[in-house]
Amino acid sequence: MNAEPEDGNLVALTLRGNPDAFATLVVRYDRAVYHLAYRTLHDVEEARDATQEAFFKAFRSLRTFRPGSKFSTWIFAIAYHACCDRLNRRKRYASEELPERADSAPGPEQQAIALDEATRLRAAIDALPEKYRTVITLFHLQGKQYEEIASVLGLPMGTVKTHLFRAKEQLRRLLGEAEVTES
Amino acid sequence: MDDSHDALERALFALPLEEPPAGLRASILMATAYRPAPAFSVWELALLGALGAIGIWLVVLLALGGGSLFFQTLSTIGSVAARALSNAATLAWLAAGGATALWLSLFTGSQPLLATPYRSQGRASR
Repeated sequence: MNAEPEDGNLVALTLRGNPDAFATLVVRYDRAVYHLAYRTLHDVEEARDATQEAFFKAFRSLRTFRPGSKFSTWIFAIAYHACCDRLNRRKRYASEELPERADSAPGPEQQAIALDEATRLRAAIDALPEKYRTVITLFHLQGKQYEEIASVLGLPMGTVKTHLFRAKEQLRRLLGEAEVTES
Repeated sequence: MDDSHDALERALFALPLEEPPAGLRASILMATAYRPAPAFSVWELALLGALGAIGIWLVVLLALGGGSLFFQTLSTIGSVAARALSNAATLAWLAAGGATALWLSLFTGSQPLLATPYRSQGRASR
């Protein structure tokens, strides 16, 4: 049975001119990167653009990837910074005009009333402040790898743990309120 | 309290990822790993540009001064080039310029050096 090639090997193969190696990396991480972008930006089109931008930047600067480091952390960091740029642009435009970016889906409060647990949890995550939402999303994607999360966000590990603790507390409160509303 | 902590973490890790829009993966691959190779490489474009410029210049010479001016100019260029290329300092500057161009190409966002692009079927490999 052939083991899946490691990310570092795929990067090395890409740099030697093998396009299929990078394609494997794309297939491995495109959903996770899109998930991070969507959770951060709350907009399907912007999340798609940010995801494409992240992979394009990664491909162009693949030579700067440090062997031995984690590709997932690297691509998530690129994606996160792409999302931050878009959020900053959005805030700049918001001071000049009011772009109608909200999609027509019901708001987080309405969604929280839905019976489906996944829907309720997503709605609760959506209701978190952006910095907590991102750290919870990365926690979901990378598990308890706090160092990786801190590396992606460019924050000290202590701050990441604090944000994660507060995010979970808020999630529990939101989910508890949703249950009370249902009953 | 530990139970609620564990339950929340379990629920988080069980949460499925957002489904990306249709065509996202294909568009990423077409922009990166499987992007079509350009019709001409950077060096080929530079050479074509230089040859084109020389050609236009020679045509203008012919139009202005006829054949004698054309050949006189060619002869002058040839002798100047021969003198310059036999000069060690000129060769050193050319080498420095070429090395700088090569080094800069690493930072311009063009395709990674030595990583050949995916060649489409219609283009014969060199």
